[in-house]
Amino acid sequence: MKSGETVLRFSGVSKRYFLADRAVDALRDVSLDIAGGEFVALTGRSGCGKSTFLNLAGAMDFPTSGSVAIDRLRTEKMSAAELDAVRRGRVGFVFQFFQLLPTLSAVENVELPLQLAGDRRPRARALEALELVEANGLAARLPHQLSGGEMQRVAIARALVHSPSVVLADEPIGNLDSESAAVVMRLLRRIADELRTTVVMATHSLESAAVADRIVALRDGRIETVSKGV
Amino acid sequence: MHAARLFFRLIVRPLLREPLRALLTALAAALGVAVVAAIDLAAESSTGSFQSSLETLSGEAVYEISAVGGVPERVHGDLVRLPYPGRFAARLEDYALVGPRRERVPFFGVDLFGDPVAGAAAAAFRENLGERLAEPGVLAGAALGYVEGDTVEITVNDRAHRLRVAGVLSRSAAPTEDQDRFLAMDIAHAQRLLDRLGKIDRIYVYDAPESEAWQRAVRAVLPDGVAFEPAGARSEGNRRMLRAFRLNLRVLSFIAMIVGAFLIYNTIAVSVVRRRTEIGVLRALGASRAAVRAAFLLEGALFGLAGSALGIPLGWVLAEGAVEAMSATVSSLYVTSTPGEIRFSVESVLAAVSCGLGTALLAAWLPAAEASSAAPSAAMGRARIEYDARRRSGAHFLRAVFCVAGGAALCFVPAWNRIPVAGYAAAILLIAGAALATPAAAERILRTAAYVMARLFGAQGFLAARGLAASLARTSALVAALATAAAMTVSIGIMVGSFRDTVILWMNRQLAADLYVRPVGRGGGGFAPTMAPEIADRIQALPEVSAVDRFRSYAITYNGLPAKLAFGQVEVHGRRTATRFLEGPAEEKIWASLAAGDNVIVSEPFSRKHDVHAGDYITLPPAGRQAAFRVAGVYYDYSGEQGFIVGDRSIFLQYLPDPRPSNLAVYLHPGVDVRRARQAVMEAAGEYSIFAATNRTLREQGIAVFDRTFAITYALEAVAIVVAVLGMAGGLLALVIDRRREIGVLRFVGASARQIRKMALVQAGLLGMLANLMGLVLGVGLSLVLIYVINEQSFGWTIQFHWPVGLLLAGLTGIHLSAVLAGLYPARLAAAVDPSEAVHEE
Repeated sequence: MKSGETVLRFSGVSKRYFLADRAVDALRDVSLDIAGGEFVALTGRSGCGKSTFLNLAGAMDFPTSGSVAIDRLRTEKMSAAELDAVRRGRVGFVFQFFQLLPTLSAVENVELPLQLAGDRRPRARALEALELVEANGLAARLPHQLSGGEMQRVAIARALVHSPSVVLADEPIGNLDSESAAVVMRLLRRIADELRTTVVMATHSLESAAVADRIVALRDGRIETVSKGV
Repeated sequence: MHAARLFFRLIVRPLLREPLRALLTALAAALGVAVVAAIDLAAESSTGSFQSSLETLSGEAVYEISAVGGVPERVHGDLVRLPYPGRFAARLEDYALVGPRRERVPFFGVDLFGDPVAGAAAAAFRENLGERLAEPGVLAGAALGYVEGDTVEITVNDRAHRLRVAGVLSRSAAPTEDQDRFLAMDIAHAQRLLDRLGKIDRIYVYDAPESEAWQRAVRAVLPDGVAFEPAGARSEGNRRMLRAFRLNLRVLSFIAMIVGAFLIYNTIAVSVVRRRTEIGVLRALGASRAAVRAAFLLEGALFGLAGSALGIPLGWVLAEGAVEAMSATVSSLYVTSTPGEIRFSVESVLAAVSCGLGTALLAAWLPAAEASSAAPSAAMGRARIEYDARRRSGAHFLRAVFCVAGGAALCFVPAWNRIPVAGYAAAILLIAGAALATPAAAERILRTAAYVMARLFGAQGFLAARGLAASLARTSALVAALATAAAMTVSIGIMVGSFRDTVILWMNRQLAADLYVRPVGRGGGGFAPTMAPEIADRIQALPEVSAVDRFRSYAITYNGLPAKLAFGQVEVHGRRTATRFLEGPAEEKIWASLAAGDNVIVSEPFSRKHDVHAGDYITLPPAGRQAAFRVAGVYYDYSGEQGFIVGDRSIFLQYLPDPRPSNLAVYLHPGVDVRRARQAVMEAAGEYSIFAATNRTLREQGIAVFDRTFAITYALEAVAIVVAVLGMAGGLLALVIDRRREIGVLRFVGASARQIRKMALVQAGLLGMLANLMGLVLGVGLSLVLIYVINEQSFGWTIQFHWPVGLLLAGLTGIHLSAVLAGLYPARLAAAVDPSEAVHEE
């Protein structure tokens, strides 16, 4: 997908969850286009719909109504296997708590998306991804031997290793000290600028949101404002 | 904090949240308890209350007097005339086949006027007893269901008789199966009927004075070689003989409990790992170490109690199934056994509960101690715990080496009182060694296997192997449990398979005759029915027949244990069979020495049991004479555990001049049709009731008896595997629940539900493979202990080691498939994990 073209399109998307005794509208009629290489920050209070937005954007879930398109592929009509394929090829995830598999070394964690996609020799690409996030010296270490910032860099390498169209980051610095947080934010910015990979980041921090090209504020499942970042 | 509340919050509530896993653990414990209880109950029923059925009418006898080949009748007269109080009741003893179902019951010749037991039973018609017995009539035990005046058809030895029921005897108000199933006859009539004039089999002594003078007087009357011993010696001898059999079965049954113990250990260990945060918080809030330890021990106790509560009734059901098989084994290997009622006593319930509870508490002890002794940090993650487990695996491996070395050393320690205590200890050390070696071995194997798995199953294979390698703290006990069950399959498979092959080889050499003839009447307890001498003469005269070997065996007691004294025609047997000798000179020399004088050969079990070897002299009491015989050789024999002393017929007839053989081995001329010859043999017997089996039939029967004998061990194996597989299902379930987050992450990074399911199934398969591998190594070790230590010390048989490849392959494949099947539900659960929920729940 060329830079500047729409990579992620939300058209009138609503998502309703059913809890034990009530229905919750996590997203209501959200429409948004995000271009290739764009860095978008989603802000808003807890429960405003940020995580739901990311789940739908990452082909983890179907909208209740409306449509989500990733690289022009509409997800709402896809089978589970097709969703898996979209996720494997076009989406990378970064989590607040890093979510590295504790039993695998850093490089093995990075290899995972490639292996799951059927790549039998993923080592070279994984090392490349680690180099990109300046973590090639950490390749052999197990997660519990890494600091929080190092873990998040490895997690970002994992999100990038299969060259996705979009990286979805859910509170990526929420669990980091300020120094590590700054490193991670610089990395995400680089990903958008240099790799021209779209980054969508959910965050509470207005300071980190300011690094993005656009800031989308959500409130009660709706887009409240869209403003420019850097 | 109040202990009960702590227990409820820390233990009960989490268990209730995972009822299936809790149920699987309780069920595993229950099966362990059930097997132990079932074997105990069935053994008690088929052997525990064992009393030789020939002692049915012994009553309150104090002493018994007997001799191999019978006591001369005049001895009874001499004893009765002694100037001391005390009553002497003479008996003739045999077995009869009764009625259309040809049920075997004891048949007694008794003095109905003087016998304290039979006489009392006949008290109801004492006035006209003489009249009733004037013509040969038989008195039937009440439980047989006859009424006075009936005609009963009986077969004793080789003769069928039709007798009138002259009365019904009952030894108790309510006739019981075991007490009142017998036939009795006036002893004089019985002597005529059985052609044993001038002989009695046993004299019971009642109301004997406790004085040495009386005993001296009795001994003075008895000829040399007539045994004078406390009543019930036969039963006591049988019990002593059966002790090893029962003990070995009991030990086998404990294997299922050991497997259950591993699983309880695993469940509690998983509980401790999962609740480290809670433990940390509770400790910070003031819970003492003892309280934390008690809570986890109580969790173990809970499983033990639940297991006992479920296991005891289940044990009863299993015992019902096991008792028949066990009785068949006892009957074919030892003595006739009629299983009694399966009875639960307070002791047996308490034993089962303490077994379940004790094992559960033992299994829970280590994880409970770990929970309480470490300073639990709420931040301590799983990776750290696994790192610790890996760090400790080296030390555990070293301990394993010590265990195996100790076990190997114990194999050279002789039996204690005929019990292979050191052999059992060696087996336990080997099992412990395997369990201790499991983490280190599993990690190495799984790390290597990861690359193979990656090639075979892609990323899922790699992740499955690496996931397991990194979950040693959780998976080691599961592997150890399944490996123990697999080892049981392997070791018993090798032992039984080797034994079977050894027996087949032995039969091929030993059974050289074309036909084997025996009387239709059946014996019991080593008591062999006999047939008229002219039957052998008639058969020998047949044109088809080349030679007949007349074989006779007597039940004797040697060193307080039952044994068999037998003799055949060495000039026939020695020339036609290829007996393998364990000790002694060349075979021809041995046969020659038997025919030349007072020489005997003994079977291997006899040699081992009584420490008798070639060149030794043994004293035997044939027909009231003490005679010394030189042991010319020790031969391999697998026909019974009691042991044989075998001599030449021409020599032994001088001591025991009863020419009636108990079996005939008939050798045909070359080219003779065996079926026709069999027909001719049956016809030659004329009025006598005999049965002739072809060589092939006898071998088939021998193998059928063998297979029936070991059927119960296969059943025990199967239960151990079921226990392990239940545990495996529970353990895999725990693994899936604990790794929900990782599964969620995998889904986020591109894994499909199918890939997750495949990964979980590959893990189950890997666990099965690992357990099979460990089980194979442990099983071969255990089979060596079973064959060369426990079997030799308990039973005295040399078993040639054979690999029953087919059986092992089938067993191990079965275990592997069971492990994969056990993984089906956890795999489904893993595939259904909601990734968003799982990843964000932290």
